[in-house]
Amino acid sequence: MDYKSGVCNFCGTGCGNYLKITDGRITGVYSSRNHPVSKGRLCVRGWHLHEWLMTDQRIDAPMIRVDGSLKKVSYEEAVNFMMDRMSVYKGKENKEIGFLASPRSSNENNYLFMKLARGVFKTNNITLDSESGHKASLNVLSEGTGFAGMTGSLEDIAKTDFILIVGSDLTKMNPIIGSEIHKAQMSGTKVVTICSRSSQIAKLSNVHLQIKPGSKKVILGALAKAAISSGAADSDYISKFTEGVETFKNSVNSLEPADIEALTGVQYSVISEIAEELSKSSSAMAFWSTGIAGLDQDTVSYIYDLFLVAGKIGKEFCGVNPIAGIANLQGGYDMGAAPDILTGFQKINSDAASKFEKAWNTTLNKEAGRDIYDLLADKNSGLKALVVADHDEGIVRYEKEIEALDFVVYFGAYDNPFIKHADVVFPVAALVEDNGTYTNTERRVQLSQKRIEPFENAMPGWKLFPMIAAKASQNWNYGSAEDVFKEITSLTPEYAGLTYAKLIDSMGIQWPCNDKNPAGCRRLDAEKAGRKFKFAPVSGNYKTPSATAEYPFLLIRGQGEHFWHQNNIMKKSYIPKREYNATLLVFPEGYVEICKEDAKALQVREHWGVKIVSGSGAMKVSVKISDDVKPGTAYVPYFIREMITEFLLEHKSDIGRGEDAIIPVRIERV
Amino acid sequence: MYLIEKNNVMKLAEELAKSYDLYGPVIDNETKQVFFNKVESASEISLTAEIPALPPKTVVFPQIERITQYKYDKVGKKAEIAMTYDDRSKAIFGIRPCDLTGIIVLDRFFLGQEFVDDVYKEHRKRMFIVSNTCVVPFKQCFCVCTDSGPAADEGYDLNLTEIGDMYLVETGSEKGKAFAEKMGLKPAGDEYIALKKKVIDKSISLFEKVATDNKAWISRIMNRVTTGFIKDEVWKHIGNQCFECGACSFVCPTCSCFNIEDHNRFDGSTDRLREWDSCSFEGYTKMAGDHNPRHPVEDRRNKRFFCKLSYSQSKKYLRPGCVGCGRCQWVCPGDIGLPNVVTYIRREITE
Repeated sequence: MDYKSGVCNFCGTGCGNYLKITDGRITGVYSSRNHPVSKGRLCVRGWHLHEWLMTDQRIDAPMIRVDGSLKKVSYEEAVNFMMDRMSVYKGKENKEIGFLASPRSSNENNYLFMKLARGVFKTNNITLDSESGHKASLNVLSEGTGFAGMTGSLEDIAKTDFILIVGSDLTKMNPIIGSEIHKAQMSGTKVVTICSRSSQIAKLSNVHLQIKPGSKKVILGALAKAAISSGAADSDYISKFTEGVETFKNSVNSLEPADIEALTGVQYSVISEIAEELSKSSSAMAFWSTGIAGLDQDTVSYIYDLFLVAGKIGKEFCGVNPIAGIANLQGGYDMGAAPDILTGFQKINSDAASKFEKAWNTTLNKEAGRDIYDLLADKNSGLKALVVADHDEGIVRYEKEIEALDFVVYFGAYDNPFIKHADVVFPVAALVEDNGTYTNTERRVQLSQKRIEPFENAMPGWKLFPMIAAKASQNWNYGSAEDVFKEITSLTPEYAGLTYAKLIDSMGIQWPCNDKNPAGCRRLDAEKAGRKFKFAPVSGNYKTPSATAEYPFLLIRGQGEHFWHQNNIMKKSYIPKREYNATLLVFPEGYVEICKEDAKALQVREHWGVKIVSGSGAMKVSVKISDDVKPGTAYVPYFIREMITEFLLEHKSDIGRGEDAIIPVRIERV
Repeated sequence: MYLIEKNNVMKLAEELAKSYDLYGPVIDNETKQVFFNKVESASEISLTAEIPALPPKTVVFPQIERITQYKYDKVGKKAEIAMTYDDRSKAIFGIRPCDLTGIIVLDRFFLGQEFVDDVYKEHRKRMFIVSNTCVVPFKQCFCVCTDSGPAADEGYDLNLTEIGDMYLVETGSEKGKAFAEKMGLKPAGDEYIALKKKVIDKSISLFEKVATDNKAWISRIMNRVTTGFIKDEVWKHIGNQCFECGACSFVCPTCSCFNIEDHNRFDGSTDRLREWDSCSFEGYTKMAGDHNPRHPVEDRRNKRFFCKLSYSQSKKYLRPGCVGCGRCQWVCPGDIGLPNVVTYIRREITE
């Protein structure tokens, strides 16, 4: 049979697929009917996975930079060159070295990458690329419940009674999750979306709360306040399963109905009604996107606390569910690719570190490291060398800073803009050229099996990383990716019960998988958690950005379906690339969506050029007139490089706020 | 008409495998999903498997295929061009009537109009087709609404119908007849005409109980689709549910749209590829200078249903473009597989 089952490598939904393999080459993709998550569906990206995997735009040999240009060498020479040059940064606790990991790499490769950073280079400066919100969500969930992942399950969407979506358009970011929610809605689930724009998922919801930009925290706080003050809140649940409700109550009680209405633009009576429905529903789930356009930790804390008030965490068909935008974003954190954690969210400054020291037969630096993007942004950080894997996103923000580094190492399968900054480049075997596990947004660990031979003999990670470690006199002994996985499971309690054999026989297993849950775990269970759920601290800061006479529009941003993380990957496909180009052809400089009334007031028509001016910068874009935004709101989809580099970059502090990065602007006719 | 014992029927496939590349329904061991795929041995084929997830159109119109290969020598300013059509002889064994109807529609599109598509013709011209009557329908089937089953009327070389412990083998071509004779099949008596009818009637009667996923009263809406008397709100309701994934077109046995792309190979040569495309994509109808005759998503959606369900389009295919296989319904992230769209339109009519 030409069709071999596999896992999609785009977003964090983890849809099942089949790749068609003819004569050792990939020649097609097909959807998987029996897969528990995707049930026969794929999105436009997933239906064209084969186009990307077929590409010949690959790294075909190790390369080192000699006299300014890259020269092909053997793996041996490249490793020697890297270790020679990196040796100068030793002995300074390696604050000068940083590692930028990939949320598309397998768990095995991310684990080894993390082990290389911590075990060999003694640095904890390691960050997952393309990311701003997932870690924040995991921090909230881990602190509050001890469960560093989505507390519910995608399979249960169909069975839940009430769904609250906060922010981004799931039909574009994670279309199959959007689909599952849509189908639940059609069969009776009440779906409420909070979003400043009439996105597709908003159109498919029962209720769309089209709030004023930047007022998410207000409306979430208001929902909690309404639930508490009407008595709809689940007080039995709160006293039995939670702690710290009083502090949260105080911070939402300061919200007055009149202020709420003024800040959000939504009537308090509507909010009250929804709060009651949420609390009285038999089960409920919350969804929000993480990743580049995700929510900040404070907003996530409000969602989490609201669901505690409503008694909807740790019960059947319930869940607070951060949705990962990239295939192995969840897995990347499970593997400890962050400054402060080891695998399974074990803190680097805890006893767990000694377990790793023993297993790795080395000593570790136990002080949490720093985020790579912080280091790049901070001119005095002293970062000198950067080791990067399969890069997608961040480079566009820090191109100058990366250029100024002393030494850059790049690991990857595909041609990538990072290569022009790299001093050493290592080809790595791509998806389906080696075995590897990937953990989707609902904690489902899936095995993607080796189906073809690596391109031009590219090395798999389990061979390549040990070669580097060996140069530092560390003996890492693996005969396969499975050996790496065995080491992961021995050090990670949530993964303890997983084996390749179990994964081959299943369509993924949701962690925690251990002695207590040998078949994995569909959801967090309040009855069995062995602890109370803690209310997350919230800021109580309900300040919303406001338009002024000088800057009368509030600019919000979102993501296009065909533009996916700087498009390094999408550009290697055909149909999605064409779709992206179709938008680009019409809007070569990007576009700003404004409503009819605003267009009329500005005296502009569709496609006309305008200048968007903020307190810190300006950009030229075209106008797109749309019913999807309200007067006073301007929406820009994030798909033009220039837009990001020349405009949004001037708002670095705002970008950090993820989706709530609202920028007051004025729009000028050109 | 001939007869062959049930336990000998695969001998036909074995014989075909000697002179053809053999394709048929295959069940994936790991996941139990059914594909229509090339087999090494006839024993891989299952005649009782449900309708394959993958439409057999992949045999004549693959998801992606190389149609030309070229290499340009920059120094010598010379181009080497090779047309690399797939000219292997293929036998498809056990195709279901809906999917066979799909191939007939593709024939009318690729071969029956002003232009003849050479790539398609090469796939098709030495083909041997053995169809398989659906003696019981499957959950998703509605071929009775689209006049494409449960038994095939045309387009096959041999048609198999399971009757008791025998297969009735009908021949639909000289090639089929010669093959049946060569195999020394036992002629079937005239009583098998009535027996076959009984089997088909039984299958049709089972639709109400078994084929419960989809219904599509196509004849009730063709007039509406053709004349355009469908409220904008209906198209909008449908358009809002479109996730623009293209899946409905990819899995459709009659969808024939394709895109051409040049794939630059590592060795400096280029493969010209043809691949499945979909009218649901915005880039599909986009013209230079931002003219797009079908800009809003609901417009693109209604184009597809016009193609499947209007009289004008059906005149080209000599039948409706839908064959009632139900695949679009299970791959759709919205709820707008063709049978549901028919229902949405009908509801509006009946209101």
